[in-house]
Amino acid sequence: MFYRLSGVHHADYVSDSRIFKVPADRNLTAFIFLIGLAAPFIIPSLYLNSYLLPWLIWTAAALGLNLVTGWAGQLHLGYAAVMAVGAYSAIHAARFGVPWEFALIIGGLTSSVIGSLFAFAALRVKGLYLALTTLAMQFVMDWVLTHSPAISGGSHASLQSPTLALLGQEITTDTGFYYVAFGWCVLVTIFMLNLKRTGLGRALVAVREKDFAAAILGVNSFYYKILAFATSSFIAGVSGALLVATFFFLAAPEQFSVAVSIQVLAMVIVGGLGSIIGSYFGVALILLVPGIVNGLVVTLSDGLGMQIDVETLAHIPNAVYGALIVIILLIEPLGLGKLYGNIRDYLMVWPFDQFKK
Amino acid sequence: MDWVFLSELAINGALTGLLYSLFAIGLVLIYKASSVPNLAQGGLTMVGAYVVLALARDVGLPLWLAIPLAAVVMFGLGFGIERVALRRLAGRPVVMILMLTLGLDIFLRGTTLAIWGGTSRSMELGVSYDPLFLGDIFISRIHLVGAGVALALFVAFMLFFRTRTGIKLRAIADDYMASWSVGISVERGVGLSWALASVVAVAAGVIWGEIQGVDQALSLLLLKGLTVAVLGGLDSILGAVIAGIILGVVENIGADFLDPLVGGGSRELIVAAVLILTVMIRPHGLFGRHDIERV
Amino acid sequence: MQEKVEAQNILSMNSVEVLYDNVILAIKGVSVQVPKGEMIALLGSNGAGKSTTLKAISGLLKAERGRISRGEITFQGTDITEAPAQKRVEMGICHVIEGRRVFEHLTPDENLTAAAPRGMSRSTLNAEKDKIYAYFPRLAERKNSQAGYLSGGEQQMLAIGRALVTQPKLLMLDEPSLGLAPFLVEEIFGILQKINKDEGLSVLLVEQNALAALEIVSQGYLIENGRVVMHGTAEALKSNSDIQEFYLGGGETDFHNVKHYSRRKRWLS
Repeated sequence: MFYRLSGVHHADYVSDSRIFKVPADRNLTAFIFLIGLAAPFIIPSLYLNSYLLPWLIWTAAALGLNLVTGWAGQLHLGYAAVMAVGAYSAIHAARFGVPWEFALIIGGLTSSVIGSLFAFAALRVKGLYLALTTLAMQFVMDWVLTHSPAISGGSHASLQSPTLALLGQEITTDTGFYYVAFGWCVLVTIFMLNLKRTGLGRALVAVREKDFAAAILGVNSFYYKILAFATSSFIAGVSGALLVATFFFLAAPEQFSVAVSIQVLAMVIVGGLGSIIGSYFGVALILLVPGIVNGLVVTLSDGLGMQIDVETLAHIPNAVYGALIVIILLIEPLGLGKLYGNIRDYLMVWPFDQFKK
Repeated sequence: MDWVFLSELAINGALTGLLYSLFAIGLVLIYKASSVPNLAQGGLTMVGAYVVLALARDVGLPLWLAIPLAAVVMFGLGFGIERVALRRLAGRPVVMILMLTLGLDIFLRGTTLAIWGGTSRSMELGVSYDPLFLGDIFISRIHLVGAGVALALFVAFMLFFRTRTGIKLRAIADDYMASWSVGISVERGVGLSWALASVVAVAAGVIWGEIQGVDQALSLLLLKGLTVAVLGGLDSILGAVIAGIILGVVENIGADFLDPLVGGGSRELIVAAVLILTVMIRPHGLFGRHDIERV
Repeated sequence: MQEKVEAQNILSMNSVEVLYDNVILAIKGVSVQVPKGEMIALLGSNGAGKSTTLKAISGLLKAERGRISRGEITFQGTDITEAPAQKRVEMGICHVIEGRRVFEHLTPDENLTAAAPRGMSRSTLNAEKDKIYAYFPRLAERKNSQAGYLSGGEQQMLAIGRALVTQPKLLMLDEPSLGLAPFLVEEIFGILQKINKDEGLSVLLVEQNALAALEIVSQGYLIENGRVVMHGTAEALKSNSDIQEFYLGGGETDFHNVKHYSRRKRWLS
């Protein structure tokens, strides 16, 4: 009904390696893109700024982690630390007087360099041990951050971000911030969409599935692992910098703590490893649902005339957040992206599959 | 060099280290019986401590009754966790199981705090705070008690893994499919390991709760517990005890040297460094099993 | 009459279909009967559905996301189609899975202990172990070394011994000869035959090595593409010319003159 295509039939490689194999997918994407462009004129600026903008930036960040965890199969529990590196170096550069365009790139590149350190751990161990090493590295980076006033910005451990300015325009309005986030997210998405069509994407998948089998086929897993970490770290760095420049305005170490690393990983896994659309869903779920549930609890308790402890209310979002991770993993270990895929595949041949049985 | 001071650091470090072992034994139990890394042990420890307090304060039971009762409750909870969550993901890639236990950890912490609030509470075990002197060396009594509990649990579990049930648990960790094929109930075995780990969590929760208060911070023991477990070799209980002592001593003495240089707070750094070095140099730890790679 | 047949067969499997992941039809209506106290072989090429058949009987399908979608399996007259694997082991079906999967980090002795049924007394267990060590003296020699470091043949013996601890009435073996030297295969098959004679244990054997298998069994089933395509006594199968060419080797010896694909597996399609 929605897809009007009775299966995917490719006659040559060119058509098989298109980004959108189904025309309706392309139309849907274009439609959503247009909505995204028009959002500031449709959506009240409060929602735009407190929901849509962080959603887009976190999605870009999650896509970066998805590259390394979903595509290259390397567990990473220190992603927030890499984001912190990007954020702090970009802001320091901007405070130093470097134009923001370059400051962002500096942030991304510094992240790349530091992030590649994680790759060296990945060269030696994988799976659980890699997760533990990256977790420990996150602790080390946290420690360095909180213990060097020069980086974290003095005794209050917070660093004011200078006003964002791109292409000679100072950006101060909510709409402006939104478009910056939107642009970055679209850019990362396009990169990721194209990744699976390239040799790099295929090599990463080969490394994920069996790194020594890939090595036998001539895929240099050493090189590709480092490349995966460096690329994903670049995305992390720029996302971290933009997060501070357009959302927090103040950089503080706890914005990039272990809990945040776990949160980004949760977004990626709940969304679905290796699924781009899944990352969008995963971020939305993890970022927005706990708050919504809390709001519901407040409304309900008010409606029923119950008094709920302030402290209880403060901790409900966390409980919900944990429960969401567990529930989604139990329902569909491959994540929301897989659930979406199932529905899409079902609709693709609807109603013709009804006749088969 | 002041030798008395150094040995005081070492002995107290070793005692603290045994308390880390107390926590790590829970991790090792589950890993040994199902090859699942349990990142929810911090949350479990916190729940354990809060359940003891709930029984002692809110219900009004004496502590000697509240602690065993809490152990029973947690035993059930452990079984429940396996039944509801772990069973459905058996055989999935490790990344999903890691995420599951992380989610569980967040859930347990959030729920505990939502029920009992975030203010720190005290355990009040009744162990005297009077210092104990061994020659010139100062030793904390509660640490001594905790170390004793850790060693007792260590002996108990060493014996347990030689019993028939214990051997079956080790068999499960080796090969799920082969275990099924000879009629071992894999589900019940994994459930039992979670249940036992939850009981260990009560012990760790009570002791650590007495030392640093019952609050959110109990779950932060996870990094130290993980480091001890990995350094000892994830599936070795003996390893967990010895690694605990090593980490405790290294941490205590190292912090004493480093703190003046970096302005305090170097413990976390030392622990993280030990974890990284262990994984890089000897991933299977001091006493862990090698994966046998031969045909 | 019908009842008499039932009584003779310890296991009877009637037109069983197995689905993996709810999509892949692995076996399509397989019927196999195992008479009490006899040794039966399932023959066939790779991917024919032999292992799936065994897993359907032992209940291990569930671990691989498979299920029996049609047909029924009865063991000693009881329907076990839906019974969980553990229940089936308790009833007396034990499956030695493919690839010598011993518990590598346990000693052979502990491997045997691990398989002990619940409630088996210590003395019974020790008696069982002694019996197994008597069948496999090599295991007795190495009973306290680590199982992962045993040789391939010893591991296979341990896997069989471990299955015997469960006191099965029907022993199912999945390719016990895989990757073993011919003399070891002979040794293991000899021991199997002995156990079969001594204890009246029924054996269902899956083999690629048809030549060796047909020497020790009384009947064989030939499975291809998830269907039973031939069934007969060992002698009948050995003398069948199709079997000779496709599974036993031999037949035409002068390979220069062999016209490839001159003969097809006519029973297919």
